[in-house]
Amino acid sequence: MKGRIIILVISLTLAGIAWVDIASKPKPLPFVVPKGWPKPQYDFSKNPLTDEGFELGRKLFYDEKLSKDSTISCASCHQQFGAFATYDHNLSHGYNNSLTTRNAPSLQNLAWQKAFMWDGGITHLDLQPLAPLTAPNEMGETIDRVIKKISRDTAYRRMFKAAFGNQPINTKLTMMALSQYMLLLVSSNSKYDQVMRGEASFNLPEKLGYEIFNQKCTGCHPPPFFTDFSYRNTGLRLDTTLNDSGRMKITRESKDSMAFKVPSLRNVALTFPYGHDGRFFSLYNVYDHYRSKMNVSKQTDSLLQKKLPISNYETGQLTAFLRTLTDSSFIKNPMFAPPGYDVTPDFMNLH
Amino acid sequence: MQKRVCKQWSQLFLVLILVMGLRQASAQTLQFVHAVGNAPLVLFDSVYYNRFGEPFVVNKFKYYISGIELTDDKQSTTSLSDKYFLINEEDSASKIITLPIKHNLRKISFLIGVDSARNVSGVQTGSLDPMNAMFWTWNSGYVFAKLEGQSEVSPAPQHSFSWHVGGFRQKENALRRITLELPPDGNLDTLRIKADLLQWFDALRPLKIAITPVCHQPGELATRLADNYARMFSVLQ
Ligand code: HEC
Ligand code: HEC
Repeated sequence: MKGRIIILVISLTLAGIAWVDIASKPKPLPFVVPKGWPKPQYDFSKNPLTDEGFELGRKLFYDEKLSKDSTISCASCHQQFGAFATYDHNLSHGYNNSLTTRNAPSLQNLAWQKAFMWDGGITHLDLQPLAPLTAPNEMGETIDRVIKKISRDTAYRRMFKAAFGNQPINTKLTMMALSQYMLLLVSSNSKYDQVMRGEASFNLPEKLGYEIFNQKCTGCHPPPFFTDFSYRNTGLRLDTTLNDSGRMKITRESKDSMAFKVPSLRNVALTFPYGHDGRFFSLYNVYDHYRSKMNVSKQTDSLLQKKLPISNYETGQLTAFLRTLTDSSFIKNPMFAPPGYDVTPDFMNLH
Repeated sequence: MQKRVCKQWSQLFLVLILVMGLRQASAQTLQFVHAVGNAPLVLFDSVYYNRFGEPFVVNKFKYYISGIELTDDKQSTTSLSDKYFLINEEDSASKIITLPIKHNLRKISFLIGVDSARNVSGVQTGSLDPMNAMFWTWNSGYVFAKLEGQSEVSPAPQHSFSWHVGGFRQKENALRRITLELPPDGNLDTLRIKADLLQWFDALRPLKIAITPVCHQPGELATRLADNYARMFSVLQ
């Protein structure tokens, strides 16, 4: 009898240990590469995705406390319903009534990107959040204080432990968690994708627009990302209040003057205003630039030396096609919404 | 009786081995001593003059030391290739580096800065944690060395001068290797290396505060500053 009790106690203890062990192991989260897409650039082996890591990243992404005055989170400028760009803002609002000097790009398919920002100045996704966290016109905080705030918070301590075990909370793990959230922001289910998969079909204007797009635009905006991630000069005039020379700021080579990263056109209908400084308010302004307003110089991209003729008739068809790149399952995916919500509540969209 | 003696001897032997072992493991330390010419560096308070007669106060002085290589009198070399030290005038403990044993050192060589691999492989930890404010967040890369202060000749706001040197890409590589021969009797427990800030201004080419008070990116000014400060180290006897 006594022996049996002992055996029972031992087996219960063992089961308990096993349970705790299973419970404390983060659950792997698959990263699915859409059919026909290339291999991601991001090295997932150095930062394996897990449910717990993603959840932590999502909390960080929506946490205003990370900014100096606790008013601005990543999501203030990267709003889900705007495909993670700042909806209807040419420039975004940062700490203490400041403005960013560039238009916030959409955040999507980041796993395939080698370099970040309009000028490609940031060379690793894990490094990207350091820039907005510390920029005085974004979140205005020091990394040191960000890590201190997180380390003092019991909810964060619990979540770090669940995601990364007993490692001390530091910059690296915090950035890895943010990357886990951002890496899963994959948009691959627009009407265009469904047409390509044979699940839907284009109407006539969309089809005509697709053909025009293939002739005139895929030299720089090729599928599946609708960007080749290169830096190109599209004949934009320098805005003398911003004095932004683009890629040249990073390479310091005059050939890169006014060259900016070709933006993805996925979800483009939602990401207005357009251009690196948000100078184009609508798609029509963009077409007008390509067909007439461009300032062609030696540095202008070879594909645009003769500008891009686009007839009025074609603009409507191009727009019809570009609208097929809107992915409503992406902008409505509750997985990307703030922790505890299915969609971002209005009060979080004040900026 | 014989047995006891034997035991005592063996104990003594053990102790000896232990002591020798400890000696082997005993560390030599490297100490960085910061100076402006012949004067010791004191942050904020002291006014110094460079050789162009420009007066200046120093508020911050920090740099990375990495890739340390130690050569002993038998020409054998030990490298501490994966160790990165951030030497910071503000933090006296940071100015002392503990080395694995190398008595009879003949030569020491090290890099000022951080090799390109660590510049491009995501967020690093320890002394390389971007939290240490030695990282350019908008143009990924480490600041290898920082010298900041004030000078009435500076045209920059608040008469400040601020030299942040870095750059790991070709053509603008600011990484510099320094090699110092040690005196033959330099068998001390602490090897003291002097870093003379005055060299930043003119060791190879003149760089005046009045003309270039700010360097906040890789490029020509940064590599010139690196060429100058690469000559700031000497062994203190
Ligand atoms: C104040 C507005 C603002 C905040 C807050 C902000 N961003 Fe951004 N974000 C921008 C702007 C503007 C850019 C483009 C900057 C550039 O190119 O110079 C950008 C660029 C990016 C990019 C690069 C996208 C690409 O395709 O190159 C990523 C990734 C990103 N932000 C993530 C974040 C994360 C994570 C946070 C929170 C830690 C954050 N952002 C906070 C405005 C903001
Ligand atoms: C030579 C390369 C090139 C070609 C060809 C090209 N683009 Fe672009 N496109 C760019 C670059 C670079 C930008 C970013 C411009 C900037 O600096 O603001 C851009 C920006 C855009 C934007 C703004 C997107 C945003 O989110 O800000 C739209 C829309 C756009 N292009 C549509 C088109 C269409 C439609 C065509 C074909 C008619 C086309 N582009 C042809 C390179 C190109």
